[in-house]
Parts: sequence; C-alpha cells; structure tokens
Amino acid sequence: MLTAAAALAAARTLRAQEAGPRVATLDWALLETLLAIGANVVAATELRQFRQVAIEPDVPEGVTDLGLRGTPNFEVLRFAGPDLILNSNFYAWANPLMSRIAPVETHSIYKPGESPYILAEQATLAIGERLRRPAARGMVEELAARLDRYRGLFARGDGRPVLPINLGDARHYRVFGSDSMFGEVLKRLGLANAWTGATSYSAMAPMGIETLASMPDAWIVLIPPHPEDAFATLTESAFWKALPAVRENRVLTVGSINPYGALPAASRFANLLAEGISRVRNG
Amino acid sequence: MPMRNGLPHLLPAAVLGIACVTSFILLLTFRPHVPGEAATAAVLDAILLWDSLLPRAAIALIAGAALGLAGALLQRVLRNPIADASTLGIASGAQLALTLGLGFLPLLTGISRELIAFAGGFAAVAIVLVLSWRRGLDPVTVAISGMIVSLIAASLSVTLVLARGEYAMSIHVWGAGGLNQQDWSGVISLAPRLAAGILAAALLLRPLNVLALDDSSARSLGVALHGVRFSILVLAVWLSASVTATVGIIGFLGLAAPTMARFCGARTTGQVMMTAPLTGSAVLFLTDCLTQLLGPGFSDLVPTGAATALLGGPLLLMLLPRVHGFSAVTATADAASRQVRKPAVTLALLALALAIIFALALGLSPRDQGWSVATGPLFSELLPFRLPRILAAGGAGAMLGAAGFIMQRVTGNPIASPEVLGVSSGGGAGLTAALFLFSVPSPAIMLLGMALGSFAALLVMIAIAGRSGFSAERLLLAGIAISAFCMAIVSMVLAQGDMRSYILLTWMAGSTSRAGAFEAWTAIITLIVLTAPLFLMIRWLTILPLGTGLSRSIGLRVLPSRLVLAVLAALMTAISSFLVGPLSLTGLIAPHLARLIGLQKLHHQLAAAILIGAGVLMMADWLSRVVIYPYQVPVGLFAALIGGPYLLWLLGLKERSS
Repeated sequence: MLTAAAALAAARTLRAQEAGPRVATLDWALLETLLAIGANVVAATELRQFRQVAIEPDVPEGVTDLGLRGTPNFEVLRFAGPDLILNSNFYAWANPLMSRIAPVETHSIYKPGESPYILAEQATLAIGERLRRPAARGMVEELAARLDRYRGLFARGDGRPVLPINLGDARHYRVFGSDSMFGEVLKRLGLANAWTGATSYSAMAPMGIETLASMPDAWIVLIPPHPEDAFATLTESAFWKALPAVRENRVLTVGSINPYGALPAASRFANLLAEGISRVRNG
Repeated sequence: MPMRNGLPHLLPAAVLGIACVTSFILLLTFRPHVPGEAATAAVLDAILLWDSLLPRAAIALIAGAALGLAGALLQRVLRNPIADASTLGIASGAQLALTLGLGFLPLLTGISRELIAFAGGFAAVAIVLVLSWRRGLDPVTVAISGMIVSLIAASLSVTLVLARGEYAMSIHVWGAGGLNQQDWSGVISLAPRLAAGILAAALLLRPLNVLALDDSSARSLGVALHGVRFSILVLAVWLSASVTATVGIIGFLGLAAPTMARFCGARTTGQVMMTAPLTGSAVLFLTDCLTQLLGPGFSDLVPTGAATALLGGPLLLMLLPRVHGFSAVTATADAASRQVRKPAVTLALLALALAIIFALALGLSPRDQGWSVATGPLFSELLPFRLPRILAAGGAGAMLGAAGFIMQRVTGNPIASPEVLGVSSGGGAGLTAALFLFSVPSPAIMLLGMALGSFAALLVMIAIAGRSGFSAERLLLAGIAISAFCMAIVSMVLAQGDMRSYILLTWMAGSTSRAGAFEAWTAIITLIVLTAPLFLMIRWLTILPLGTGLSRSIGLRVLPSRLVLAVLAALMTAISSFLVGPLSLTGLIAPHLARLIGLQKLHHQLAAAILIGAGVLMMADWLSRVVIYPYQVPVGLFAALIGGPYLLWLLGLKERSS
C-alpha cells in the first residue's frame, strides 16, 4: 500500500516535471487561458457547455468535469488531485473550501471599471510565469501583433462603428459595451463601438430590438449562441429588413464565443471579425 | 355598455381612459429619436413608429384584453374572485413548457410556441383543478394549489436555466414579459384569437349567467354544467397561453382587469365580461407607456409584465373580503387516528433514523465507477466538504420543521407553512434589496437582508391578519398575496440578466453546495437558540389553535404570545431559506408527518417535526449530489419535488376524511 502510494507520488512528480503542476479552475476565462498556454489542466467546470460556447481551445478528454459553475462539486475536485487551483473574483466564495484541496491563486479578469483585456494580459503572463509556460508570453505578444496587423486591415475599411450583440430572443438582445472583452478588442482594432451608453458589468441586457435603429451607421455583429428560432423570426421581420445595416449588407454573424472570456476569446473574436468582414466586403 | 348607475361610476373609467390617452401622447412626443443625417433618421424614425411603437401599443391593448377576458371567465367559471392565469399556475406552466421545448428539444421548434405554451398552461391548471376538485374547487384550496404548482414550475424553469448556463438566461428575460415588437406579426397572430375568444364568450354568456347560481339550480335549469365549464376553462387557458407564448408572462392582469371593471361600475356577468377586456387593455397599455416613458433613452424601465405583477399582491389583499371559502380547513382535519403508546421510543427511533441518514450522507457517494464508502484518511479529507452542507441542510430542515409547526399551530391551519405564508418570498425581496445596496454583499449581509425581508413580510401579515381576526383563510390568502408581490420584485431583478440575477437564481433554486463553516455554524447555533425556547412555549401552542375568544378566556395574552412565536418563526424561516432556498416545502411536510405517525403530545410533535425536517433535507441534500453526479441538482428544488406531490396527496386525503 505504502509502496504503491510512493510509486504513484513518484510517477506524479515525474509527470509534473514534464507537463508542469496539475491545475484546476472554476472560471472559464482562466480555463481557456490555461488550455491555450498548454498547462496540465486536470479539472474544470461545465465542460459540455464550454465545448459548445467557447469552442476554442480544445478541451482534452482527460479533463474532469466539475459540474455547474454555480455549484461545482468539490469532492470531484478533490479526487482530481490538483496541485494548484486558479480562481477568479466571480467564485471567490469557494476559496475557503478549495484551499483545503490545494493552494488557491486568484487571477481576476472582470472587475468593475477595469479593462478586461489588460487584466487578461496580466493574468496570462502571471499564470505563465507561475506554471513556467513560455507559451504565455508568446501568446500575449502574438495576439498584440496580430491585432496591430488587423488594425491596418481595418484602417482601409469603411471606418464605421461596430455593434457587438448577442440575441436573447427575436425581440431582445444584449449589447457588449466598451468595458467588455469584445469592446476592448474593437478598441485595439481601431474600430469604434457603436454602443456608447451605460453597461452593467460589460454587457447590457435586455435591450429592446427597436434600439438597433438608433445606431444606423454601425456594423451589426451577432455573436452566438442564440436561441434557434430567434434569429429566423428576427430576420423575417419588416423592421429588420428596413434597418440600414441590413439593407446595406452590414450584418455579420460570427461563430459562438464565450462573452466572459480571456485572451483566447479576444483572439477568436478578432479572427472571426476580420475574416467575416473581409468575406462580406468581397461579396 | 350599460352603465345604469350613472356618473359616479363613470369617473374611474374616464380617469383611466384619460391617463391612457395622455401617456400615449406623451410617449409619441417624447419618444427618443434616431441620431445621424436627417434623411436616414427620418426613414428610421418612421420605421420605429410604424413597426415598433405602434405594434407595441396594439399588442398591449390586445394582450390586455385577452388576459382581462381570460381572468373574468376563469373567475366566473370557478366562482373564485381570485382566479387568474398567475394564481392558477397557467403562466408558469406555459413558461416551463416553453423553456423545456425551446431549450432542450430543438426538434420541437417545428411546433408552434402557442401549442407548447397551451400544453404547459393546461397541464398546470389541470393539476390545480384535480387537486381541488373534490373540495368543490373551493377558492382557498385552488389558490394554494395554484401557488404550489406555480412555485414548482418556476423552480424547474430556474433549474433548467442554471443547468444551461448563460444560454438560457434569455428565456428568463423573455419570461419577464417585455412587450417590445419588431413588426405586426405578434398583433396579427393574437388579434384573431382575441376576436374568437370574445365571440365564444358572447355565446357562453347565458350559461355563464346560470353558473352564477349554485350547481343544483344550474343543473335544474338544464345547462350541461360540466361541458360548459370545461369549454370556458379551455377558452380561458388558450387565451392566456397565447399571450404567454407571444409576449411572455404578464403577471396578475387577469386579476386586475375584472376588479377594475367592477370599480368602474360593472355589476352583472355580462357587464363584467364586456368591461374586463377594456380595463385589461387600459391597464396594460398604461403600464407599458409608463415603463417606456420612464426608461432611459430607448430602454424600458422594467419589463412590462414584471411591472403589472407588482399589482398582484395589493389586489389580492384588496379582494380578501370577497373570498369565501366554503369548507374551512381546520387543524383537526388530519389528526391521526392511530396513537403511539410510547412516544419516547418513537422519538428515539426517529433520532436513530436521522443518525443513519447522517452517516450515509457523510460516508457514501458515487465515484467514477460504482459507489464508494469513504473511510480512514479519505474520509477525514472529504469531511470538510460534506459536513458543512449536511449540517446546513439538516439545520435548515429542522428550523423549517419547527417554523412550520408554529405557523400551523398559531393559525390553526394545517396548510400553513413558511413557503405558503409568503415569509420565504419576503426573504427573497430582502435579498434583492441587499444585492442592490451592496454590489457584492457578504453572506452575513445577504442573511441580514433576508431576515429583514422576512420580518417585513411577517409584519404585513400580522397587520392584515389582525384586522381580520387571524382567520385562517385570510391568513393564507394574504400569504399568497405577499408571496406574489415579493416574487414580482425578484423577477424584475432577474430580468436584468446580470450577476445579481445569477445570485438570485442560485438562491431560488436553493443550493447547499456552497455551504462552508459559516453556513454550518449559522445553522447549528440558530437552530439551538431559536428552537430551545419553543419547548417552554408549549402552553401557548396548545391554547392558540382553540381560537382567540377561548384563548383569552383561559387567560392567555393572545397578541403578545402570537407575536413572539411569529418572530421566532420568521427568523427560522429567513435563515433556512438563506441556506436552502425558498421552496423546499419542508416546513409543510415535517409537522404533518409528526402528527401522522401518531404522536399526541405537543412537545413530542415539535421534537418529531424538528427531527423529520432535518432528516428530509439531509436526505434531499445527499440525493441532490448523487443523482446526476458530478453535476448537482439544487437541494431546495429537490425537496420541493418531494413536498409538492405530498401536498397533492394531503389534499386528496382530507377530502376522504371530511
């Protein structure tokens, strides 16, 4: 028994040297950061939903599902045997319980009044340093360079503002303001966010669909996931067809993105936006 | 419409009409305008006016009329002045069906929303009516069954929302009843339904008048009673469900419209039938104009449906004097026929059962393959995760058992419980206030907010009940009214769809998975401090159910003793609903089971209610974390799913004994 345990511990140490410490997290933004920098993730929350909503990066099969973000299963977390748990301010209530399993470190990306992009960069670098993953710095620098490149691309565009929204149903949507991750990406791409009003915690919901008319110059960027029937019902309506953006072909539906993500979500948004807008422009 | 009573009654109608016209003119004048170059802006303004603002005004009028008519029909056919799509559970049933249908069974997208909503609404109302059928659809029984069905449907919807994460948040947002329109399709689909409904109601007018008499005289007049009742019921459910499918839940409008109609002078069935749709239109239209006018820029202040729901509570209170339950529910109704010879042995057995459940919950759980019993070092490592939640659940259950016991004794009513009397929902309103005042409140502040909310709800209850002499039925209905009002406040915040709503959703579903040392100690300490004095108050608990007059003649100071007991019950309710959410129904079940197993003496019953409450919630907590391992079902919901069917069985049982 003892020798088995010792052998297990030895094997673990060996693997730890290759893949770095075993990490777990409740937060999706941290999860995608960890996966992107190639950390040894052993457990995270709501993986089924993550694979559908965030899509990238890929979650390896071996990662344990901890259940819902709101009600994670700490026993499962304990059995996953992490060496380190990363947490954000969203789930700070869980810290006392989780610190019994492994040391907990907090990296928050969404704080009222602070730029999530800058916080995400800081968190990525700090996590990369902590886990000794050089890929982290590489990712931060590569993304900054790529956004710069896209900025040049967009500078040759029509200079119109962009309205990033997520449909709730055929008559309501939520809009991502300047303090959201999407808003931050737009800023770095040299694009104006068409929504200049107030937001509560980076997204404003629910907005009545008629408010789309108050931003006639904008590109409308629809960010899934949205309910199956909402998009179909909306696009059939007279109001939608009459919108300047629709008539002038300035509507873009990108792929599903985690709205409360970190740099991987920012990167995915920038790629999809650049690709989508050039696709629309080239017919 | 015939208004024989002349001027005094025309006044409220005129005021309502003038308010509608004025607010619409204000809305047209002050509606926000589209920025940008003049030509484009003019085109867009025209689109907004013709394809958004006007259809929205029209849908408010039509939905209001449909709900007003549905309410008037339901009240007439059930002979129940407080029947309405909200009180009968039609709206929440429809919402649950739509949440299920749209979120989980994408194959159903081919089927119309109306049909899904109708199926859900009809199922809910059918359950409510089956529950109260044998009691002759007694209004109090109907209202209570409706509330329980609504609660369960709403909590199932909440669980689905939580299980889906953010994706389904929109369904909840939509469920709050925003009237925004983007074309005339909603109007086009709803208007013919309303017309058909009005036509059908007109045809049924004579049988309806007959129905105002009692069953036997109606039958002697040759009306196929059940047929007429059933078709009117289907008509009303269909109207309400169509509205829910088109614009979401518009709370309590079916209750408001006929009341307003009577206020405006409608007296006969025909007059109410004609006036209720008009007043319903006016009320919804006015609310919708106001929420648009008061909201910043293009946004609404609150979803219109949530705003009308605020009317529900006060209206129910106003209608209290009109409600006459014809079979008063009394505490003796479910007194057990059997007696326990040795209560000490029974209590010891209960304690043993509790210990076994405790050990089971502490030790046994599923693993990746099969089951495992935690022993040795593993056990001590898992203890910090399992023990707090088991203690929190058990403590909450015990307190709910005691609170329910007090409430049933004080009101002399076996259906009284923290959930039914609105004290739990009061806690929810308090939590909402705490979330507004502090963006990230600590558990202690949330708990304080809930305690204050429960207190406030209870004080209102005491004030109302004091005026009506603590009549058992008035108390229950007042509880439902307060519950409705508090839940309207909660759902307005839910509709904001931000982090606050996530906290509220988590609370509503009732989860112990977050319980740590703070929650466990709160549960244990308050349980001891609050329940220990109860055993010294057994005399009060014995005498109070005998009624105010008798209690006083025995020399009991009725009001102070009731107040002390009520304050204790409110505190226990607030703390337990903080720990396991508002809907567990444990406060209803535990005292019942204590009586049913045949305990006679009150202190034995109280002790048993505490033990049973603790056992039920510990068991529910354990089940909630093993049924879909590693995902967890909220324990409050799980307990409600046990409590709901129990209530069903209980109502059936009473029928047979009476």
